[in-house]
Order: sequence, then structure tokens, then C-alpha cells
Amino acid sequence: MITPRSPIVALGVGVAAPPAVLVAIYLFFAGHNQPGGGFAAGLVLGALVALRAIAGRRAPATSTTLLWIGAGLAAGVAVLPVAFGDAVLDQRVVDVTVPLLGKVKSGTALVFDAGVAAIVVGLVMAVLDGLGISRIADPSPESETAAKVEGGS
Amino acid sequence: MNATLVVTVAGLVSVGTYLVTARSLSRIILGFSMLGHGAVLALLSAGGPAGETPLADRSSPEEMSNPLPQALSLTAIVISFGLTLFLLALARRQNALSGDDLVEDDLEDRRVALLANEESPEPVSEDAA
Amino acid sequence: MIASDTTPSPAGRAVFGLAALPLAGLTVWATALLAGDGSATFSVTWVADLDLVIAFHIGPMAALLTVIVAGIGALVMVYSAGYFSKDAEGVVRFAVTLLAFGLAMIGLVWADSVWTLFLFWELTSITSFLLVGFRNRRAEARAAARRAFMITAAGGLALLAGLVILVDGTGTDSLQSLPQLEGSEAGIAAVLVMIAAATKSAQVPFHVWLPGAMAAPTPVSAYLHSATMVKAGVILVAITGPAFTDVAVWKNLGLALGGASMLWGAIGALRHVDGKQILAWGTVSQLGLMIVLLSLGEPKATFAALSIIVAHAAFKAALFMVVGEVDVRAGTRDIRELDGLARSMPIAFAVAAVSGASMAGVPPLLGFMAKEAAIEAGLKSKGFGAVAVTALIVVGSVLTAAYTLRFLIGMFGGRSDTPTEVSARRWPMTMPAVALTVLSLGGYVAAGTVTTLVTRAAGTLDPAAAEFALLRWPGFTVAFGLSAGIVVVGAALGLVLAREASSPPAAIGAGLVDRGIDEVVVTARRVTAQVQHGSLPVYLVVVMGVATLAVAPFWFAVDLDVLYRWDTPVQPILGLAVVVAAIVTARIDSRLGAALGLGGLGIGVAGLFATYGAPDLVITQLLVETVVVVGFVIGLGHLTRRFPWADRRWLVTRVVISVATGVSVAVALVASRSQPNGTPPREALVTEAVQTGGGNNVVNVILTDARGLDTLGEIVVLAVVAIGVVALGAAGGRRRIA
Repeated sequence: MITPRSPIVALGVGVAAPPAVLVAIYLFFAGHNQPGGGFAAGLVLGALVALRAIAGRRAPATSTTLLWIGAGLAAGVAVLPVAFGDAVLDQRVVDVTVPLLGKVKSGTALVFDAGVAAIVVGLVMAVLDGLGISRIADPSPESETAAKVEGGS
Repeated sequence: MNATLVVTVAGLVSVGTYLVTARSLSRIILGFSMLGHGAVLALLSAGGPAGETPLADRSSPEEMSNPLPQALSLTAIVISFGLTLFLLALARRQNALSGDDLVEDDLEDRRVALLANEESPEPVSEDAA
Repeated sequence: MIASDTTPSPAGRAVFGLAALPLAGLTVWATALLAGDGSATFSVTWVADLDLVIAFHIGPMAALLTVIVAGIGALVMVYSAGYFSKDAEGVVRFAVTLLAFGLAMIGLVWADSVWTLFLFWELTSITSFLLVGFRNRRAEARAAARRAFMITAAGGLALLAGLVILVDGTGTDSLQSLPQLEGSEAGIAAVLVMIAAATKSAQVPFHVWLPGAMAAPTPVSAYLHSATMVKAGVILVAITGPAFTDVAVWKNLGLALGGASMLWGAIGALRHVDGKQILAWGTVSQLGLMIVLLSLGEPKATFAALSIIVAHAAFKAALFMVVGEVDVRAGTRDIRELDGLARSMPIAFAVAAVSGASMAGVPPLLGFMAKEAAIEAGLKSKGFGAVAVTALIVVGSVLTAAYTLRFLIGMFGGRSDTPTEVSARRWPMTMPAVALTVLSLGGYVAAGTVTTLVTRAAGTLDPAAAEFALLRWPGFTVAFGLSAGIVVVGAALGLVLAREASSPPAAIGAGLVDRGIDEVVVTARRVTAQVQHGSLPVYLVVVMGVATLAVAPFWFAVDLDVLYRWDTPVQPILGLAVVVAAIVTARIDSRLGAALGLGGLGIGVAGLFATYGAPDLVITQLLVETVVVVGFVIGLGHLTRRFPWADRRWLVTRVVISVATGVSVAVALVASRSQPNGTPPREALVTEAVQTGGGNNVVNVILTDARGLDTLGEIVVLAVVAIGVVALGAAGGRRRIA
């Protein structure tokens, strides 16, 4: 039977993870010229985190950290131009070349999108915590308490 | 204007409204999601007929579909995504507190309603002391 | 009824002294302006986009009224310093509100545009509400304040409507040069403005609030009855009169209301036993006289009305001040209980006697000259009016003389060997009344000066009114004969009625108004109880129902020609799938099934996006749907597998409202495209995206560049949701509501 702890799930997650990360990276860089973008990339990563959580693996960072990083990046890019006398969210176009994709999006929009992606991943992780994923992954009472403490921090 | 899309919007909004007037919070969430879908499709249909993907290097401005409603729709999708997740958390909390996910009547509102049973609002006309 | 500690409060004195300063300053300024026959204009822009300007113009009329309002205001402040005892509460609140009341009244007389007039009109209503209800722990005061406010605020609404018609009809909102209003709407505007004036000036049948307003401290009564509030209606009739001179209903309504008030007010004054009530009913009567004169719209009558306004302000304020002093020092103002005060309060008696004589129209006083002018005006009015108006003025004046004498005898006369005991004199209460009495006397002596000032003011209303004069000795004219007769007959009547120790009549009108207001409040609560149901589904049904009705006009804007079937034949298949998925999701009993149904629906919607050339939407929609379904599965995993208890009672209502909402949205959608509204700016968006945003994906460039701030807001929403979800999840397991 396939339970969250079953080896089949673990194997599936292990196999799915690398392509998912690749897709996320592609979407992230493609966003300015092709379909994709920070939000889509964040959702792919978020789905991966959810999958790992169901398989009982912990995420490498807490949701709070990611939310802070995301908000900091986006707000920073938004406010920084003001220091140079430009309008809020003014863009600096710097072409960035990435192997396999060629010339991709401009500089500051990239950072802004990174902020969006971080917040989306943080949101998905927060939802997993808040809705109690740990009980599905590990229905023992101890881990429930652990999840509560973590969620409340 | 795309009649198919308009009919689809009408259907989604109807079912969505039906669901948000339910008692069960999880049904309300389903309803909100449908209303969100309806809104996005309404935006798209209002933006004009379908066309090519709005990529500047692949299609000319005359052939592409209107990019503005798409940009608005993306925001709409994201916000209804956030709303859905928040409502899910609310439903879960309601379940933790009361054992089900039914939306209860507002007690304060019931209390206001009870005021109507009092005969006089304030004894101004009788009490002249 | 008045505080037992009879020494005035020193702190109160300081506050009232401070409040008297601006009023005294305004008095001096306005006097100088009037003496120099000058004028001042200034304005403050309020809402530039609406051309809404608070405009003031102080011509001779406004200056004369400012002298009255500010001058009596300053005296009332001094009087208040003596009126309030040491342990009185809220003295500062009182002083501030009274000052605001006076300034609102000054703003009203200064107003140069109808909107400014309306603004200050309402301000006097509000501040008078606060003053009448000043003793807010007394139910009586609260009821009186509510009654006064409801009646005057209703008048305010009538005024607003009337002014809108006036501005619409004349094309100007300036009060300086109001043109004649003509046409059918002139009558409506005239009635509305006259009703507004009648509510404010306590004309029958709107007078019921004024006697109740006696619940206010006496300084308020003195001010409200003499210079402010009730004079506002008279002033309104004076300054809007020029627009209505040819409107018959204006004149007739004014004569009817004013005449009824003159007689009924005087009769009321003869029936009451409370000194303040007698004066209050007397005010109703006097205001009636002013309204009668002004609505005649003749130069002589206008001149007489302004003279009476001046005389009335002086003697009525003084009389109220005396009653207040009697109340404070003797402990009552009931004429059945007071005894022998003429001896123990000689100054108060002298003031009351002189001011009363001025009210009754006895020479040599200001009131005499004004009444003389009024009778002259009545005699000279045209046609049938001459007899009727003169008769009205004569009868009203006889009654006025009668209640004046009854008041004097009742308040100050001696009946037994045990006169009422009085406490020590308070100079701040005595001096303002003395000053006003000196004015009533001095006005007679300096008749020439008073004439100059009044004719200047009257000239702004009607240039022909500037030629009249107040005469110290008119000679043996018909008017003088009538005047003499009035005083003699009135005095005789007063003597007869003076000892009539009847109990006061019941306030039937006031009771009716109170019951009406109570009924409204009760009904409001019943309606609230029905509407404020407390049930979310009911609220939503109501909201959606109203929205459906609001969309109804769009039905007429629908042009079905803008519709085409589909872009590609895949669309109807996908659309059908989406709607079927929606219905299945709604009908299914299992929670997991519903979650999966929603997922399927989302995939169908993503398919529709694909047919629209929107790959970004497809990607986002699919990913969002995945995460949402996962969220549903985890989040609702704790809940029972099946939906609990479905409420079937409302089923039909819900279905009807839902379908109506869906159809309404579709109609609004089609209607929105039925009007030609240009083509989408694709070209510009593409150019902008490539050149400024530096990207080829126009949609994404719009999101991060053109609408970057929106996107920033959007991720803030997501962050807030994340925090909320974590917080709800953390609290959820502990069965605690924090």
C-alpha cells in the first residue's frame, strides 16, 4: 500500500525533484521573453516542497525565512531607484546571458522576480505548516506538537 | 465578444454563487474559486477576440491577443489563490474549534435583533424628572 | 434646580472672559465697518474641483447683524460667568460650545453663497442641539435637544432642496444679487425655504421645540432667543425674499405662518406661569411679527422688520438675563411662587420694567419706535392687506402688552408680607442686562444714529427701504393713536390676567413630536432586526439580489450583434466541460471528490486560456490548481469525509438568486462591449514592453514593469496570507480563542 512513508513515494519524490528544479529555473529565467516568470517558478518549487513534505522530508529553510528574503528583495528593488533619483520600481535594463537560454531578462526585474518566487515558496510552506502536513506525513502525536511549535514561531 | 466564454462565465458565476451561500465553509471555498475563474474568463472575453501569444518577437501586434487582460488575469489568479488558501486555514480552524466547518450566525447581530423587542428606545418622553 | 453653592466659579469667569474676547473684537470691527458704510469680502476655497467656496460678504446688513450677534454674545459670556456656580460641571464645554454657536451664527449672516449659508445654517442646528442638551443627565434636556434638532434639521433638508431649486433657476449661488425666480419651480422653492425659516424661527406649527429648549441653561436661552438661532429663519426670509417678491405663495405662506405664530405665541405667553416659558412664547409671537413684515416684501415693512430685529435683540436678551438672575438668586422662576422681588432685587426689576416696556411698545424706548414703524407699514401695505395686516399687528401687540404686564407683576409684584428670600447679588449677571437696557433707552435718544444704521442695512435688501426713519415723536397720527390704544387695552388685559393662577397648559405638540421620533426609532430597530439577521448565507443572498437589480439597466444596453460563437471549436467543448465540472463539484457529497472536481474544473479553465493565446495563464493556472488541490486534501483531511448537514430550506431561493447573478454578470459583460470603446492599445503595449521593459513577453513585462507596484502589492497579500495561515494553524489545535 502506498502510504506517505512508503518507499515508492520516497523514490518518486527523489526522481521528480531534479527535473522539477530544472523546470523552475527555466521558467524563472524565461519569464521576460517567453512564458514563465517568478510566480510560476515559485509554484513549481512550492509543489516540490509539498511533495517532499508528504514524503516526510523537511524543507531546507523555514517559511518565515523565505518570506523575509522575498519581501526584502522585492521591496529593495522597488525602493532602490529612489536613491538614484528615479521613480519607485524604475527598471535598470542589464542584459544577462545564461547558458542554453541565451540573452535573458533585464537586471533589476530579475531580482524582483526572485523576490516573488521566494514569497510564493514561503507561502506554500506556510500553508503546509498551517494546514498540518506533518500529521499526514507522520501521524504520531509528537510530530504534531513539533509542527505546532514550528508553526507558531 | 465570444458567446461561448460569456455562457461559461454565467455558468461559473451561477454555481459559484450557489456554493458561497452554503453553510459549509469548504463549500464556500469551492464557490469562491469558481467565482475567481468566472472573473478571469470575463476579463479575457472583455479584452477582445483570441489571437497569437503576445510575445513581441513572435507575433505582430495586430495578430496577438490583447495582453492587458492577461496581465490583469494573472494578478486575479494569484489573489484568488491566496484567498483560497486563507479560507482553507479558516475552515481548518473552525473545525478545530467546533468539530465541523459550518458558518455560524453572528451572535452580535442576533443581539442587535433582540433589541427590537424592547418597547421604547429610551424613556425620554415619559421621564421628565 | 440650581446648584446650592451660590458663589460664582472663578475658573468659569476666566473661561468666559476668554470666550468673550473674540466676540467683543468682532463687535468693534463690525461697528466700525457699519459706521464707515464699508463692506468686506473674503473667501476660502473648500473643494476646488467642485467650485465649492466658502464665501463671505459683509455689507451693511451683515455688519448690523454681526454687531447684534457678537455684541450680545459677548454680554452673554459675561453673564455666564456669573450664572454658573462653583460646583457646576462642564463650564469649559459650555463656553466653547456657546462660542461655536455664536460664530456659526456670524458665519450665517456673513454668507455670500447659498452653500455657505446652508453650511452655517446646519452648524447652528448642531451647536444649538449641544447647548439645549447641555444638562445631558436630565431626560428632559435630552428630549428637548432631540426635538429641537429633529425639527430644525428637517427644516435644513427643506432649505437644501429649496436652495438647489433656487440656484438651478437663477443660475447663481451668490446671495448679493439674487435675481427674480420665475416659473413653476419658484413656488416650490418658496414653500421649501419658507418652511425652513419657520422651523428655525419656531413658527406655528413648528414652534413646539422652542419652549422645550428652556431646558438649556439661561445664558443659552438669552442668546438663542434674542440674537441667534431663531433669528436665522427671519434673516433667511430677509435675504432670499428678493428672489420671491413676485411669488404669491411666498407672501401668503409667510403671512399665514407669521400671523398664526403672532397670535398663538402671545396666547401661550398669557397661559404659562414659568418666567422663561412666558418669554419663550413671547419670542414665537415676536418672530411671527417679523416674518409677517418681511413677507410683505414692501420697503416700509422691510425697514420696520429690521428695526424690530434690533429692538427685540436688546430687550429679549435683557429680559432672559433677568429671569435667569431671579432663578439663580430666588431658586425659582414660577410667577405663582415669587413674591416681592421688586424690593429685594431693585436693579433686576428696573431692567425688566424698562425692557418690558420696550417690548410692549411704550415710549420713550427703542421698541416703541420699531412698533410704530410696523404699524405704519401695515397701514401703508397694498389692497386687502392693509386692513388685515394692521389688524393682525394691533391684536398681536395688545396681547404682547398684556403678557408683558402679567410677566412683570408675576415676577416682581408683592402679594404677602413674606417676600421670597434671595441670595447675594452677582454683578456679572446684573451688568450685561443693565447695558442692554441702556441700549433700549439710548436707541430712543439717538434715534437718528439708529435710523442711519438700520436704513443702511435695509438698503441692501431693498434700496427703497433706505428712505424711512425711526421717529421719536411721530405726532398725532393714526399709527400713534393705535399705539396708545394698544398700550392701554393691553395693560388692562394684563392686569386682569396677572393674578390668574392657572396651571400651565400641557405641551401637546411637543408630546406628539416626541412620540413620532420614538416611533421612528422603534421601527428602525425592527427593520434592523429583520435585516441584521446574523446569517452569512442570508446576507450574501441579499447582496447578490441587490447586485442583480443594480445590473438591471444594463439589459437595455445589450447589443447581441457584438457576439460571435467561438474562436476555435475546442472552446465550446472546454466551456461545457468546465460548467459540468462546476455542477458536479457543487452536487457531490464527498469532500475529496469536490476537491478533485475543482481541480478538473481548473484544468478546463486552463485549456480555455490556451485557446486564448495565453500560455502564462495556462502555466500559472495549472500550478495554482495543483497547489490548491494539495491544500484541500491536507487542509480538509481532518474534516468528515462527507459534507455535513445541507440546509434544504433555502434551496429554491439560492438557486434562483445564483442563476440571476450569473445571468446578470453575463448581461453586464455583453453590455460593456456593446458600446464602441476603441481598440486595445496593443501596439503601444508591445513597443513599451520591448523598449522600456526590455522583454518580449508583453504580459510579464506589464506585470513587473508597468504594473510593478500592483505586483508588489500582490506579493504583500501573499505574505499576509502566509502569516495568517500559519497563525490560524498554530492556534487551531489548542481550542483557544485569543
